[in-house]
Amino acid sequence: MNKVIEVGNLYKLYRVGDSIVRALAGVDFEIYEGEFCAIVGTSGSGKSTLLNMLAGLEKPTKGEVVIAGQHMEKLNEDGLVKFRRENVGFIFQSFHLIGTMNALENVALPLSFRGEAKNIRLQKADEMLDLVNLKKHKKHLPSQMSGGQQQRVGVARALVADPRIIFADEPTGNLDSHTSEEVMRLMQRIVRERKKTLVMVTHDDHLATYADRIFHIMDGKIVKIENNHKEREEKEHETV
Amino acid sequence: MRWIDLLRMSSGSLKRRKLRTFLTVLGVVIGTASIVVMISLGLGMQQSMYREVEQSGGMTSITVTGKLEGGNMYYSSDGSSEQEEPDKYITDDAIKQFQQLEHVKSANPVLDVSAVALKGKYIGYLQLEGMTPEALKERNIELIPDGRLPNPDSTDLELLFGNGVLTSFYEKATDKGYWETGEVPDIDLQNDQMFLILDSDNYFQNQSADTGATEEGNSDSPQTPARPPKKYVVKGCGVVAGDIDTYTANYYYVYCDINKLEDTLKKEFRGRVIPGQPTTKSGKPYRQFVYTSATVQAENLEDVDELSAAIRNMGFQVTTNAEYMDSMKKQFAMIQALLGGIGAVSLFVAAIGIANTMMMSIYERTKEIGVIKVLGCSLKNIKQMFLLEAAFIGLIGGIVGNILSFGMSFIINLLTGGGSAVELDGNLSYIPPWLVLASMAFAVFVGMAAGYFPALRAMRLSPLAAIRNE
Repeated sequence: MNKVIEVGNLYKLYRVGDSIVRALAGVDFEIYEGEFCAIVGTSGSGKSTLLNMLAGLEKPTKGEVVIAGQHMEKLNEDGLVKFRRENVGFIFQSFHLIGTMNALENVALPLSFRGEAKNIRLQKADEMLDLVNLKKHKKHLPSQMSGGQQQRVGVARALVADPRIIFADEPTGNLDSHTSEEVMRLMQRIVRERKKTLVMVTHDDHLATYADRIFHIMDGKIVKIENNHKEREEKEHETV
Repeated sequence: MRWIDLLRMSSGSLKRRKLRTFLTVLGVVIGTASIVVMISLGLGMQQSMYREVEQSGGMTSITVTGKLEGGNMYYSSDGSSEQEEPDKYITDDAIKQFQQLEHVKSANPVLDVSAVALKGKYIGYLQLEGMTPEALKERNIELIPDGRLPNPDSTDLELLFGNGVLTSFYEKATDKGYWETGEVPDIDLQNDQMFLILDSDNYFQNQSADTGATEEGNSDSPQTPARPPKKYVVKGCGVVAGDIDTYTANYYYVYCDINKLEDTLKKEFRGRVIPGQPTTKSGKPYRQFVYTSATVQAENLEDVDELSAAIRNMGFQVTTNAEYMDSMKKQFAMIQALLGGIGAVSLFVAAIGIANTMMMSIYERTKEIGVIKVLGCSLKNIKQMFLLEAAFIGLIGGIVGNILSFGMSFIINLLTGGGSAVELDGNLSYIPPWLVLASMAFAVFVGMAAGYFPALRAMRLSPLAAIRNE
């Protein structure tokens, strides 16, 4: 299997007043194509910092992040934006839909940054909304939708540009447990159907079990990598 | 990103905050309108001056004055001190010399005489300008229907009146004219006959002698002239088009044929010195008749400088419309710069308003900007988006400001009665198409300049702001 993400000896230090805080203290791992990985840790463990670094939103203090053969730490901001535009989809905790646009337009937004024509954009967005089971709410504004529906729009938006990697930052953090399960199942299904690589950050051990591999992070270091893949397959065998 | 999408997003965010957009645009509207109206005033003055020059022979016309006797008041005070005092008179010989110069299309004498006109209860103080028929034709004076130019072959003196000549008539009893009473004297210049007195000094001396004698019984005035001045019966042949409120270049003048005027003067002052004519040292009249000025038309505009230098070398004083225009142009440039500067201040204030609005808008949308950055909107596109938004404010302000200027210009022209209240021929305020385009372009430019630093700031916002959870 191809390595999509390689992280080597990654450090991130913050200066807080006079003291220096280590958000990441030497992290190494690889993620393969088509994998669904979860990064699990308590708040302040450095999981969000790690995700920001993978998505090129923050510069590492030391170490390297190679995504699809591209060294992220060497790109300037323009290069990072371009890289994200072409390779990365993003799902936010608080959805971050544009309030003045309806669901369809929100999903089509990343395509407009790529310079695609409006009718093609809307057609692709339409397909994506069908994929996430939001057939009835295409013309609704974010304020007219429930949290679960909004996050499904968010998932559709992350997928519409057909990126190789999708990052999700606590995608169910603002949802109740029932809706959370729904959204997780949706993401799992799509990732498997479309053979996408999904990296999700969460603090919820239970939600992490949807992933193929689980990275446990504590005080800026990965303490355990759990392979969930076989367990699940075994479970499936058992049910059969 | 496509341009159409950029436009859509920028205009969309303006529409989202209608009141704030409206207020910001209002600032630009006022700024643009004040610049346009101010400059239009300068342009109106300039345009009316061009028209005046056009009517007085155009840019190729050269006015030549010679040595004048006595009443040289007009010219001594008009700042031509750089020129040497002319030492020649404009006589028929001089006119012939002018005509023989190279590049001269025509040369015609002009004779200015002041006269008194009597009509019923009115007395008028007229400025007679004797011209040759050709020169009169060249002036392209627009006449009222049925009017014609003075006929050089008629037996009597025929007069062509300016449209404002009636303002020079006063009621004899009250000594009040149009400006005091607001009533137009009841005279039909075109058809009525009137008395014309050329020897006006003599006329007034007689008048005062009469009143002095009747009122005080004291008639020992030593210089009472022996004979009262002759009253000539004259008829109008035409009136300049336009009513009394429309100022034209021919407003106050009364034109007549120069030869008839010369003959009449000679007859009137037989054996004496005609006022304004030079005398020899012994006080005798000069041998030749002397004209007030001559109008020389050059063939081409390029010949004007050369020709005026040649005539100056002959010992005459020369003023050309071209020189006049040059000096006036400098003055108008200054007036326009001043008026435009006043307007520019308000546009500058509007620019600060735009910058403020843009900053507010960026603070409000920090999160949104972060999100679109994470989703892959390039830095260039973000900058363009905000620049376009500011440019939109400028453009809308420019368009509405221009519409407002046209309205204000219309009202100004209405109130000043087509410029006649300030002695202008034509409108006081004039907005040419280039001013409309230039002011709109300037408003857009000001908007973009004001929006530039906010746009840079938006571009540099960290995408992390979007990830941070509230």
